Amino acid sequence: MNGFFAVFRREMLSLWVTPLAWVLVASFLLLQGGIFYSIVVHFSQMNDVAIDLGPVQAYFGQQSILMAISLLLLCPALTMRLFAEERRTGTIEPLLTAPVTPAAVVLGKYAATLATYVLMWAPTLLYVVILRDTGSVDWGVVSTSYCGVVGVGAGYLAVGTLMSTVTQSQLIALMLTILLQFGMFVLGIAQYIFEPGWIWEISAHISLSSQMEELSKGVVDSRRLVFDLTLVALPLFLAVRVVDSWRTDG
Amino acid sequence: MIVVEHLTKRYGALAAVRDVSFEIGRGEVVGFLGRNGAGKTTTLRVLAGFIGMTSGRVNIDGHDVQRDPIRARRLLGYMPETCPLYPEMRVYEYLGFRAAIKCVPRRERRGAVEHATAEVNAKDVLDVPIGQLSKGYRQRIGLADALVARPPLLILDEPTAGLDPNQIRDVRDLIRKLGEEHTILLSTHILSEVEAICDRALVIHHGELVATGTLPELTRQRRAGGAKLLLRAPTLDVSALARAVEGVAVARASRTEASLTELVVDFEPSADAGKTIEALVSALVRADASVREAALDKASLEDVFAALTADSAGEDGGEPST
Repeated sequence: MNGFFAVFRREMLSLWVTPLAWVLVASFLLLQGGIFYSIVVHFSQMNDVAIDLGPVQAYFGQQSILMAISLLLLCPALTMRLFAEERRTGTIEPLLTAPVTPAAVVLGKYAATLATYVLMWAPTLLYVVILRDTGSVDWGVVSTSYCGVVGVGAGYLAVGTLMSTVTQSQLIALMLTILLQFGMFVLGIAQYIFEPGWIWEISAHISLSSQMEELSKGVVDSRRLVFDLTLVALPLFLAVRVVDSWRTDG
Repeated sequence: MIVVEHLTKRYGALAAVRDVSFEIGRGEVVGFLGRNGAGKTTTLRVLAGFIGMTSGRVNIDGHDVQRDPIRARRLLGYMPETCPLYPEMRVYEYLGFRAAIKCVPRRERRGAVEHATAEVNAKDVLDVPIGQLSKGYRQRIGLADALVARPPLLILDEPTAGLDPNQIRDVRDLIRKLGEEHTILLSTHILSEVEAICDRALVIHHGELVATGTLPELTRQRRAGGAKLLLRAPTLDVSALARAVEGVAVARASRTEASLTELVVDFEPSADAGKTIEALVSALVRADASVREAALDKASLEDVFAALTADSAGEDGGEPST
């Protein structure tokens, strides 16, 4: 795995010295702040609140459709440049002729976007702190919710990484990733449309919003975990194969 | 240091490189010569492990670039043709990253970056973002990148392309200096570059290796050429006599001064230039001519290159089209 940390550090530097990460963080936090504010206002007007339904659950659970939409744009924007830009500008050539394995390059880049993604979420912990000052917060729910957020993001980012290896155009990488994510999102919604049956089974299984809803109630289902891990591992594995094929193709 | 066996690289139906084989020994400075589009960059990219090959084998100091790519790459510093760099990084950040990725231990990285930038004379831009550098500096940073891990082998793709004459001279001086410690393979389409810095040249044309050898060998490889003689033979039909000598194809005689004759001969392509001119001179002497001067045409590398890479070449043994 030589080169992983070097690639990771360089990628972090490139993300944060260019305006991209800052623009994404700013717009993300603005959006989340708005959502959070409206949720809190909503709850403050309610007279009796169920024990398992508070602002945290609402934020990560029922309202997760809003979150999913913001992630739908945020994750592809983070990953679109990873390989597409390097191939367009040619910097991929010195990178891949250095003594690094394709796995180190793919994972280093992916880890940098994941770290950036986590950093983006970090300020939202303040919301929880605010809530704690005014009421009680179930920390178990908070931690499972954040695990869910990281899990969903990790999958989206892995898909985005793969899409960035298949084209030299950042725009196409962005569109392909959005398309795939949107496909999964719509399939997930299908569980509310179809009657129970095999389509419903599939939809419910891959539905990220119902995953978030479960996690926001503190329910951890190992099937969800397996699905998230698959969504991370499979695209990354394919991305490594794609990068390696540039080197070995006759 | 480098062993290339039957390397072929196809892009679809187009064969960019066809059945190229050569070896480069430790410590050699070898020029890879060819016109634009002859297959130089493709070959160097395969050697550096950036692209695959359709068939053949490439060994870097005993490590196969396909099966043992990491070890093979640790031995070489590669500078791509267009010298792509990350514009958002500062020079020291970039070279530090390159040193890290090339397995230079953390403690030695700083020293390695300073040494490499000192070598290419770019210490004054260490803090400058790469996007603001001029072409000449970018080229030097690319070279510093190739040097930073002190690999025994340097592969440089057109290291002087796009530079002004002073910069070209600087880079050539640098390469000559580096050649004392490193094995270097550099591609170019500029002949004087090869003459200035290389011990040996490989000439590639339409993806095929058409000649290889030291520079004197290459110039000798050109067909026999001809000779020019100056002699005193007032009564002799020198051109008829010359044509009778084995190996002479064409002979033209012309009077220059009062009693001197200039004889210009072309040799047959298969003839040995040295033997033919000896036979010609002794035939003239036997016929009582006084030979004042006899000089073989010296084929310049320029002629050799033109002959080897002329598009008519190949079918008729490299007869130049001019």
